[in-house]
Amino acid sequence: MDFFEPRISADTAPFWEGCRAHELRFQRCKHCGKVRWPAGYLCPDCLSEESEPVVLPPEGTIYSYVVMHKPFHPSLADKVPYVVAAVDLAEGVRILANLLDWDGEDLRCGMPVTIDWQDSETYSRPIVKRKGE
Amino acid sequence: MSFDHLKDRFAIVGVGYTPQGKIPGRTAVSFHTEAVRNALADAGIGKEELDALFLYRHFDAIAGDYDVTAFTVAEQLGVRPSVIGQETYCTRGWLFNSIGLLASGLCRYVAVSYGDNARSGRRSFVKELAGGKATDDLAAFGDLSTMAKYAMQARRAMDTYGTGPEVWKEISIAQRQWACLNTRAAMYGKPLDDEGYYASALVAEPLRLLDATPNSDGGRAIILTTVERAKALGRPYAVLRGFGSANQPVSPLRISVEDEDAAAKRASRAAFAMAGITHADVDACELYDCFTYTVEATLRDYGFFRPQEVRDFLRRERLGPGGDLPVNTSGGMLSEAYFMGLTPVAEAVMQLTGRCGDRQLGVLAGTKAPSIIVCSDNGAVFQSHITLVLERGG
Repeated sequence: MDFFEPRISADTAPFWEGCRAHELRFQRCKHCGKVRWPAGYLCPDCLSEESEPVVLPPEGTIYSYVVMHKPFHPSLADKVPYVVAAVDLAEGVRILANLLDWDGEDLRCGMPVTIDWQDSETYSRPIVKRKGE
Repeated sequence: MSFDHLKDRFAIVGVGYTPQGKIPGRTAVSFHTEAVRNALADAGIGKEELDALFLYRHFDAIAGDYDVTAFTVAEQLGVRPSVIGQETYCTRGWLFNSIGLLASGLCRYVAVSYGDNARSGRRSFVKELAGGKATDDLAAFGDLSTMAKYAMQARRAMDTYGTGPEVWKEISIAQRQWACLNTRAAMYGKPLDDEGYYASALVAEPLRLLDATPNSDGGRAIILTTVERAKALGRPYAVLRGFGSANQPVSPLRISVEDEDAAAKRASRAAFAMAGITHADVDACELYDCFTYTVEATLRDYGFFRPQEVRDFLRRERLGPGGDLPVNTSGGMLSEAYFMGLTPVAEAVMQLTGRCGDRQLGVLAGTKAPSIIVCSDNGAVFQSHITLVLERGG
């Protein structure tokens, strides 16, 4: 299930390139070691611009989630209801990811999950799987 | 940083209303100009005395309107303020900007205005798409609308603190009770009960349609000046006894319910300390209520209740008419009208100056005439916040 092709900027391109390779790729500040998210030119902690790629493990916990019932665009009419989750990864990084094929069962904030991938023609995006699925 | 030297030095001396609700055939600019004209008249000052004009955030023009800017509003009011400005998005800079200009003596009277034809023009709050294309990467996850961002926070508060629709229903119904005492309110004459709340459609679960503020046509404006000038005007006014401003400028995704440095916490701590008040001194709260959950989050972050006590604390008997903590006595944005922070601030001034008719605190059975009202203004998704402690003046 696809929503919309993301608009990718010069700053976010490395993240989306990582997604295409099925990796959670972020920037680690070479000066202070903090993992930077959202992507940016400078480290918001120490303002250094030096960074190196870091790949985080594909697992985390659900910080929170929303079940979208109203299609906010006509193309979503046959996709609702769908789940948008905010997932806390390692190193203080929080990303969005969809839980596909939600069948109305209970999710919980704090639930451990793994990250998998959904490939579209031009991009890939992270999706949520329950641990052990 | 202490702002104590600014305590009790500024006042809100005028409030301007317009017709509101569904008013087809009018431009957003026309609501700005009418609101500012009426606020000037309420303050008893001429338009030539206005030397600063601030507009709430800029929106894309709808309903065939031309672009709405502070230039246009000043032009149509026939004023030439030395300072004009407009937020480009939902930051909440108007209060500190106004105080800075008044405290420095650069300006004598500041108008703050909001106007929109959002209801007739069916304004959308989906900025993740433009022309069906993503404006950033949120649409790739179907994360559309401001409401979805608030729903994310609301869900976290459900699982962490035990809140939920049973609590938001109480907020919704209490504010509807207030609206039924306010002939100006969109929901006047439309009482709401539990069944009505639960019948409301889920939009971004856990939030329902009735958890969200509806769009309004109309405008609202206020005039700020120094307390010396307020006294000289010889009309009732509200004194700014304390205030605070804080921003949490991170993506909504990164906002956390548990954050000890939440903007509302920092702004309210500063405002309460400056005013020298405790929660027991507060006679009413007029809060920015884009969603029911925003009211809960604000009262929680302000320290009116401990997070785990949310279900016991937020009951209609407390928040509604006759309750010991009246909240959003006009009906608020949820049930009166959506004029951003000017909905709560205007109502606080009207209550403190005794002009609220059937819903007037101190007249309505079981209520006390207010001397201190706490207001909030919240921008974006908990990213920008100001707290005002207003006291009856004059």
